[in-house]
Parts: sequence; structure tokens; C-alpha cells
Amino acid sequence: MPHGRRRTELLMLAFAVVVVLFAYANVGFGLNGKLPAGLAEYGLAFAAIVLVAHFAVRKLAPWADPLLLPLAALLNGLGIVMIYRLQQSGRNGNPGIEISTMTPSTTAAQVMFSALGVAAFIAVLFFIREVRVLQRYTYTLGVAGLILLALPAIPGMPNSTVPGTGAKIQIGIGGFTVQPEQFAELALAVFFAGYLVSKRDVLALAGRRFLGIDLPRARDLGPVLIAWGASLLVLVFESDIGTSALFFGLFVAMLYIATQRTSWLLIGILLFVVGAYAASKLFSHVGVRFDVWLHPWVGDNPTHNAYQTVQGLEGLGYGGILGTGLGHGQPYWTPLVQSDFIMTAFGEELGLTGLMAMLLIFGLMVERGLRAAVAVRDPFAKLLAGGLAFAIALQVFIIVGGVSNLIPLTGITTPFLSQGGSSLLATWALIALLMRISDNARRPAPQPIQDEGMTQVVRAG
Amino acid sequence: MNRALFRLSLACLIMFGLLLINVNYVQAFESSSLANRPGNARTFDEQFTFQRGSIVADGVGGPTTIAESLPTGTSTSGNTTYQRHYPDGAMYAPITGYDSIYGSTGVEAAYSKYLNGTAPGLEVQNLISLLSGKAKQGATVNLTVSPKAQQAAYKGLLDDGGHQAGVVALNPRTGAILAMASDPSYNPNLLTTLDGTKLNKIDKKLLTEPSQPLLNRAINQTYPPGSSFKIITSSAGFSTGKVAGPQATISAPQPLTLPNGHQLNNDADETCFGGHPQVIQAFLLSCNTAFANIGMKVGGPTLQSYANKFGWNDSNLTIPMPVSPSVIPSISDQSLTAYSSIGQLDDQVTALQEAMDAAAIANHGTIMRPYLLQSVQAPDLTTITTTTPSVLSQAVTSQVASDVQSMMVQVTQNPDGTAYQTAGPPAVGSLVIAGKTGTAENTVSGAGLDDAVFTCFAPANNPQIAVGVIVKGGGFGADAAAPIAVKIIEAYLGVH
Repeated sequence: MPHGRRRTELLMLAFAVVVVLFAYANVGFGLNGKLPAGLAEYGLAFAAIVLVAHFAVRKLAPWADPLLLPLAALLNGLGIVMIYRLQQSGRNGNPGIEISTMTPSTTAAQVMFSALGVAAFIAVLFFIREVRVLQRYTYTLGVAGLILLALPAIPGMPNSTVPGTGAKIQIGIGGFTVQPEQFAELALAVFFAGYLVSKRDVLALAGRRFLGIDLPRARDLGPVLIAWGASLLVLVFESDIGTSALFFGLFVAMLYIATQRTSWLLIGILLFVVGAYAASKLFSHVGVRFDVWLHPWVGDNPTHNAYQTVQGLEGLGYGGILGTGLGHGQPYWTPLVQSDFIMTAFGEELGLTGLMAMLLIFGLMVERGLRAAVAVRDPFAKLLAGGLAFAIALQVFIIVGGVSNLIPLTGITTPFLSQGGSSLLATWALIALLMRISDNARRPAPQPIQDEGMTQVVRAG
Repeated sequence: MNRALFRLSLACLIMFGLLLINVNYVQAFESSSLANRPGNARTFDEQFTFQRGSIVADGVGGPTTIAESLPTGTSTSGNTTYQRHYPDGAMYAPITGYDSIYGSTGVEAAYSKYLNGTAPGLEVQNLISLLSGKAKQGATVNLTVSPKAQQAAYKGLLDDGGHQAGVVALNPRTGAILAMASDPSYNPNLLTTLDGTKLNKIDKKLLTEPSQPLLNRAINQTYPPGSSFKIITSSAGFSTGKVAGPQATISAPQPLTLPNGHQLNNDADETCFGGHPQVIQAFLLSCNTAFANIGMKVGGPTLQSYANKFGWNDSNLTIPMPVSPSVIPSISDQSLTAYSSIGQLDDQVTALQEAMDAAAIANHGTIMRPYLLQSVQAPDLTTITTTTPSVLSQAVTSQVASDVQSMMVQVTQNPDGTAYQTAGPPAVGSLVIAGKTGTAENTVSGAGLDDAVFTCFAPANNPQIAVGVIVKGGGFGADAAAPIAVKIIEAYLGVH
């Protein structure tokens, strides 16, 4: 008899809450030797949020993967802890330099966004009982995704540029700013899955062989060229290299899952390399990123483009193997450390050890997503789960690789950790989709009614 | 589609693998090179927030802390900041040197790895303090320096009337440096400011000052040795057998006509025991012509080889600060050898070498390697390292050493001896100091007065301290240099 393993989930959640509360207390001790103010409030709020999520899962997706929720909660909690630590820097008599891009209410806002994120998580589980229903809205969501993506580029859109970065990826609504691309990612993933499932036979089989590679027909190249063009437009009009790379990578990966044709992968990579090279030559802001990546050490002064990367690397180096301990490092030297560079703050204060543990948490999350993809039978769900899991991996690779100078830096949020509500909401919704798919996959088939009167069941052989 | 999913999982594995390898590279391998990068804001802060180890003078009269890091405030990172402090300032400056934000000198530079806690052997300590959350601390460096001897030395130099001077006192049995003073000196506390612009200004001022206060006159400045070199000349004469012993008679005419026709005179053109003194008599009166004759009998190259055995011409000596070599040139010309053998011509000596000459005679002809480091103590008070005294060289045989010693005793004990009044019974009573004066004609000093030199050890029958003093332009060695040596010896031995 299979079981839902909700008790395992509760146990792991309790563990995640304990880790987060200890880390939060640790920040206070590290900064000024006292328990931090709001330990009870924030602690209770966080515990309540994850508990609500757990009971919603019990009710709405009892067969879902038991690890995804605790992993997400742990990362979300650690993100809140680090944002609190950075916000306290140089404030309330604490050591360090005040981070001007944060306000005294940043932590409270992040806790509120976490609550909203969990609400989105529950909403997805509540409204989408079978992931297949999404397939009906394939093209609707495709159009919605493109509109969301294009919104900040529309001239006259309020607050479209993120302060300090030059990236036009947000829009102002009321007193808030929203980054619609975070939600576009989900909509487009559903669109890709729906589109590719219906077209995969054509994409997979038609074509001819050339140099041992099965090449697709020229007219089938259409969609991949459209995706490529759209991502280039994002790059050009919104100065957002990271999102552009993420969307294109997501599309190519899903195309590969759907068709199993290596040629699509090669064509995708080729297009990406050509696009990236051309962009680095044509647009100065892209060229600068390549230059910083190759020669970071020429930029020692705060006015230089490499300053942020150098500060991030020096922060990682300062942390060393064991880290300085929460509150003991100097992450405030790195500009925008609370968003793109938050992983370098973790690396500095928790050390190589802590950073590797967090990367493994992300890795485990991806693995649970891929496992759901393998387990589910429905091709649409399979494709969607594979794509979403890969999107997490690619996003982590792009941003962590960028801040540690493994690849050129492209501004993109770190899932669950970076300051900001849009990313949190969208990522919680993404986890909800993965859990819905794993719930579908692991749900046992309806049992035939055992007791059919006096019918004698004879088992042969 | 599952086959593609498996391959995609592999791609995810590779991406995470690359991230893990890269952060390992940055945080484990590049960590120290990143920390040492100029302009690293995090580590720039750290050099002020680290409590560097103390330097302690641990000899007779000690222990006295001569350099320490004191808390001064709080840095931006919330850690306590420290500033270097030298309680006795200029007195110990030739030993401690200074530690500034731009660089360091003296013991501060030479034993930096102990003071900043990076020496092997301190790593475990650092790890323990890291794990226990305690602040990292440097180790304490204990020196052989005796506060009593050092105070007497520095006071003696200050009271000599403003001459440039250097002095070194050694334990002849071990080579331990008991005192090392230089005048004029500087206040190292001026250089410990954390303000770079201010530091540049002070540094420039010290470097351009005509009196050159940063110069260490005990080990890095050489002067003509004058008659004090007769210790070496006698040792060479006895060792080669060219002179039978202290009682042998030697020709000492006034004047002595050299092979090149020049005339060499005794001091004040006085006759020396009728021109035929015993060597010991010539030594106590410091007759130039007698030792010029001995030098010419030995020959220039042989004389140089004996000087080398005493440590002259050694450019590799460190204590651990590098010591300027004392120079005795190799001369084949007999007439020039005559001048060289009475410490004139091109002979140049440091105060440290003067002390080593006396120490060799005091220690049966064996020169111990001079050293400053007594021991290093980790923050938990365990001893990391101690110095074991070692032999630098065997200058002369025990017999020759005792012959020369008997002559040096006469210098202070015989009423006719050059230092009878200033280092003999009238000055020190029953304490017997064995010594040799030197008064070098110094055309360079210009002030008209000669450079005064005195080298000695005491007590003569059980040597515990050897002293070399050089006072530039001080006049007679017996008058200007000997009283300083006497004060150091009295303070160190605790007499008077």
C-alpha cells in the first residue's frame, strides 16, 4: 500500500523551521551579542506560514513529493534571515555600513511576500487539481507570457528600470513594483509544454540526415527561431541578459525532452553562441559583462564595472572554508548584495561549507522535480515538470556562476533567497506545480472495490 | 521522453558540479591570495582589528613589554581596532623597529610571522580560537634584552653630549644580546598612526633629518676601530707564533719609519718603555709602533684571516636583523699593513663587532652567534620555540684568549693603563673589567675630535657581559666610551 509520506514532510518542515530560527538567533548574537528583536514574531509567523502550507498539501495534494515543501521552506527562511542580517548592517547601533538600497521594513516585507508566496502555492494546488487541464490554455498562456515579458519595455511604463542596474524588467503598480517576467516564466513553460506535446512527432521525425545528425525540416525551425528572437528582444529592449538566457535555455531543454533529438540541442546552442557573440559586439552593456568576466581585477575602484564582481569574490574569499559566522562578515561592501549577490553573502558568512550545502539544497530540489517528471505518465505533465525543474537548475547556475565569476555575470534573482516579492511568488507557484505533478504521478490508481458480495475470486496459476 | 530526461538530469548534475568546483576554487584555493590583494576592503579593515603579539624584553630586570597592541576603538565591522604602542619609545627603537600600515622594520619585521600568528606551529591555535569564536591573537616574542642594561646603555648615550653613538652588550657565554642602543634615536609611536597621509609626512621628515635618527648605529653603521683593533693584532701575533707571548719584548721606536719612508707615531709622540716594551706593556699604554711592528711580522693577509675568525668581513650575519659587515681589507703592502694593524686606514667596525671581539676573548676564544630571540609564546602561553645558543666560530685557542685577557685586565688595573681612571679601581672599585680603548683619528668627522671606542667584558674572572661602545667624535676612548660601558656593566651586574 503506497502512502503519502506527509508525516515525513512535517518532520522535515520542523527541521527546516528549527534551522531557520537558529540562524535568525545567530544573526543577533553575531551582530551585538543579543537575541534579535522580533525572534518570536518572525519565528511564529514563519512557522505558521509553512504549517499552513503543509496542511494545505495534506488536503489538496496528499500524494505529493514530501521533500519539495521542506526544501523550499528552508531556502525561503534562510533568505529572510540573510535579508534581516543585511538590513541590520549599520542600523540600530549594529556594526557595518548601512545598505542604502534597503529600508527598515525590508525584512517585514519579505516575510509578507513569503506569506503571499505560500498563498499562491495553495491557490495553485486548489485551482489546478489535474495538471492536464492547463494544456487547454496552451496558447492563451503563451500570449499572456509574451505580454508579461514585453510589459516593462512599453514606453511610458512607470518605474520600469531597476534602480542601480539599468535593467528594464519591472513595472510600478500602486506603491509596489512587480517584475512580470517572473510570472512570464511559468506561463511560457506551460505554453512550451503544450505546444511541444502537440507538435513533437513532427519535430522529432521529419527531416533528413546530414553528417550523421538528423536535421529538422526548415519550416519546423519556425518556433525555435521565434523563441530565439523573443529572447534577443528581451535582451535588447530590457537589458536583461539573464532572463533572456534563462528563457531560451528553458525552451531548448524542453524541445530536447519532447523530441529526444540531439540536433535541436546543437541548433539551440549554436544559435545561443551566435546571439551572445553578436550581442557582445553590438551592445556595450553586454560587451562590458564579458570584459569584466575575463578581466575582473582591473576594477579596483567603486566606479569601475568590475567593482561588484570583485567585492563578491573578495567576500567569498573572506569567508573561506568555514565562513565568518552570521553577522561577523562584511557583506555590505558588495553593492546590491541583498538581491543578485545574496549567495556571496551566504558564502562569506557561512563559508564554503554553508554555500555548498545551499547549492545541494537547490540540487536536491531539482532532483525531486526531475523525479516527478520521470514518474508521471502524461506527456504534457512530464514535459512541464522536466522544464520547470531544469529552469531552477539553470537559474541557479546562471546567477551563482555569475557572482562567482564562473560565467559572465547576468542579473537574475536567486530563487527563494533574493529580496523581492515577484520572484518569491512565482517560485512558490512553480513548486506548487511540481508538487501537483508529483501528486498526480504518485496517486494510486482507483482501487477496484474489493468486496463484491460473495463473488469468488479465483487466481489462476 | 524519459531517456531525454535522464540526459537532462546529467546536464543539471554537471551544472551543479561546475558551481561546486568553482566555489571550492574561490573559497579554498584563492582565499589567501584574495585576502592579500591590495584594496581588499575586508582585509584592510582586518589589519587594524587584529591584536598583534607583544614584544617583551625578558633579560635581567625584565620582563618588560616594549611593544604591544592596544585597543583604540571599533571598526566599521564592529570589531575592536588596535594600534601599536611602544611604552619606552626611542629607547628600544633600534631593537623593536616599528610596525606601520605601510611596512615594518627591526624585530617587528623579522619576527612578523610570530607576531601576526601565521608561523607554522600557531596554526592549531588559530583554528581553536576560530572554532571557539575567540579573536585571533599573535604570539608573544620574548627577547634576550635586559631592561637594566638597555636603560643604562640608552641613558649613557643620551648623556654623552649629543654625539652620534652606538652600543651593544652581549652575554659572551651564549651570544644573547643584552642591550642594543643607538643615538640619536626616534620615537616609533609616531609611525603607528592609522592615517596614511599623516604617516607619509612623518616618514618623510624622519628620512630627511640630517641626524638620521632611523639609522641603527649599533649594527648598521661602521666606524674606524682605532686601537681597539690591537686585540685582533695581538691574537694574530700569538696564534701564528710570530710573537711568543705577552711577556715577549717587542721593538717600539718613536717614531717608527715604515718601508715606504713614512713615519708612524705613538699617541702624543710619547716613547714606549724606552722603545723595547713587553707586549703587555705596549698593550696597556696602547703604543702604536709596537703593534705596527707585530702587524708587519704577521703580514696583511694573515692579519685579515684572523680578523675574519672574529667575525669581521661577514656580510651574512643576522640577529635576525641584517648586520653591516665590519671591514678589514686584505693588504700586501707592509707599510699599509702597519696602519691597518692599529685600526687606522680603511678599517671599519660596528659596535656589535666590538662587543663580539671582547666576547671571543671572554669565552675562551669561542664566539657565540649573537641573537635576540629568547622564546616565542603562543596566546595560550605554550612555548612555540626557544633559541639554543650556537657557536659562530672559534677565533683563537683558549691559551691565546687567556693571554689577551691578561693584557686587557692590565688596561684597567695597571695605574698606567689607558682606562685605569675611567674603568679601573678609581671608577668601579673591586669589580675587574677587562677592556681595550680605541681613539681613532677621524678626518671625516670634521669636528676635530676623534672617534671614541671601548670594548670590554666583566667580571674578568667570570665573564657575564661583553660591551662594545663607539662614540663618533667623542674624543678619547677612555674618556668618552669607557664610562658608558661601565654604567651598563654596573647596572647589569647589580653593583653600586
